[in-house]
Amino acid sequence: MVNELKIDPKLVEEFLNINKNIFEAPKLVRAPDEINLDMTPYDVAYSEDKIRLLHFHPTTERQVKTPLVIVYALINRYHILDIHPQKSWVRNLLNQGVDVYLVDWGTPTNADKFLGFDDYVNGYIDNCVDFIAKETGEEKVSMQGYCTGGTLATVYASLHPTRLKTLTLTAPVIDGKRDTTVVGNLAKHIDVDKLVDTIGNMPPEFMYFVFSVLKPFEQGLEKYVNFFKNIHDKDYVENFIRVEKWLSDTPPIPGELFRQWIKDVYQENLLIQSKMYVGGKQVSLKNINMPLFTQVAVADHLVSPESSMPIHYAVSSEDKSLQIYTTGHVGMIASSFSQKRVLPEFGQWLKERSNK
Amino acid sequence: MQTSSTKKTQEYYKHVSLFWTDLLSLMASKPYALSSAGPMRKFGTNMKKLSTELIEANDDLLEFNTRLSEYYKQLTDTWTEAQKQFNKKVPELPNDAEHIEASKRVWIDIFENYFTTLFDSTKFAENFGKLVSSELELAKHWNSMMSVLLDNANLPTKDDINEVYKELHSLKKRLAKMEKDSNHRTVKRNGK
Repeated sequence: MVNELKIDPKLVEEFLNINKNIFEAPKLVRAPDEINLDMTPYDVAYSEDKIRLLHFHPTTERQVKTPLVIVYALINRYHILDIHPQKSWVRNLLNQGVDVYLVDWGTPTNADKFLGFDDYVNGYIDNCVDFIAKETGEEKVSMQGYCTGGTLATVYASLHPTRLKTLTLTAPVIDGKRDTTVVGNLAKHIDVDKLVDTIGNMPPEFMYFVFSVLKPFEQGLEKYVNFFKNIHDKDYVENFIRVEKWLSDTPPIPGELFRQWIKDVYQENLLIQSKMYVGGKQVSLKNINMPLFTQVAVADHLVSPESSMPIHYAVSSEDKSLQIYTTGHVGMIASSFSQKRVLPEFGQWLKERSNK
Repeated sequence: MQTSSTKKTQEYYKHVSLFWTDLLSLMASKPYALSSAGPMRKFGTNMKKLSTELIEANDDLLEFNTRLSEYYKQLTDTWTEAQKQFNKKVPELPNDAEHIEASKRVWIDIFENYFTTLFDSTKFAENFGKLVSSELELAKHWNSMMSVLLDNANLPTKDDINEVYKELHSLKKRLAKMEKDSNHRTVKRNGK
């Protein structure tokens, strides 16, 4: 007896369609190299070494007097905050009348391997704040730190509390011991001294490895199948390619900065205990007394909410708010959800605390 | 893991190699002393460093291979376990679009779950840490050998360049501090 192989005709059709889409893809989609990720126009207001302070052009009359400076993460680049017109964090804030500045860390080279927390916090960030204060005539600025930028912003707020009107921390890495992510697990077991002493800066390839082990099947397989399935959906494809380009573009991290970040935040967990030292000064979280807004995402697989939330309880600010969103690490800043929920709340919070 | 007899054999060859390198270096000292200003002099002096690095790199290569094998073993074992679980949940091969889509979802969920558990585990992180560490040991030997070759050619080595970078970093920092202090003084004076 011969077994009859029955295949659903729909399946054959889908298979053929995907094949057709794969062949047609190069005609329909721009190559990542041909895409410029800069979207909302900006001026480079200030630059120092490799870093640039971007000042975005206003889209409406200013409604929030105190300028906002965004301290972006050390991993990947700032483009995710302005990745798509309908999902742009920056554009949404501009439309709410916020004056937005953003720190672009640039691409460190071997010559920058001795840059540490002190250079980033007491040097670059402080100089950017100085510049904004001078340019706008505002004595204090509002600061938002995202991911590892949240860690830098926290340290800055502790060492320079008089310079900040408000502080917003979006998925900051604060309590390394409580971090339950794969990133935290690997960070706790790496010989960071040997890594920095041998190769200097933290190589981007290493970061690619860490990303590849986060949701390997969902991210590594399913999304590409969906990409080819949706190849005729212009918006979907454009967004996909832009995000993919952003994901693959991560600069090295200066060696000394990486060493202190891994040791003090993940391995020895000094930051949350106020035992971390930067530029010879103790980073006491009790020094943070300005209004604080902490934003965390329950499905964050890069910085677990348990690692971010302790900052809310460690500071001495009387005006503080903790928001937990039902989204992920990137979903919190670049999604329809963030446009509808996270950003209106953030804009309102800033407006209520800005100089009139 | 290396057996004790493999280790003994390695030690033996290491000794023999170093013995002859040292001896040849001593025997050859007079001829290369004659050409002390030429490029081969440094090469002659540094020959031993190169062979020592190569021998030691071999030891570290063994450690690297052990860690790499363990890394792939962990991945393979997890894959096998996840596939077993999938086979239990989906015993028959689906042949229509709807069932294939559902099975794919189950497959992804099971594999995601198994692999995330592995990557979250201490045994994976420990082996991964050691794998990176052994890779760095190899990089260290490579750096040392490159330094020897660069030194032979009278070119700056990594250590020499690091010294310059460090000095530059410290100078920039001092300059920035002086600039900041001077700005603050000016602001204070103008304020008065």
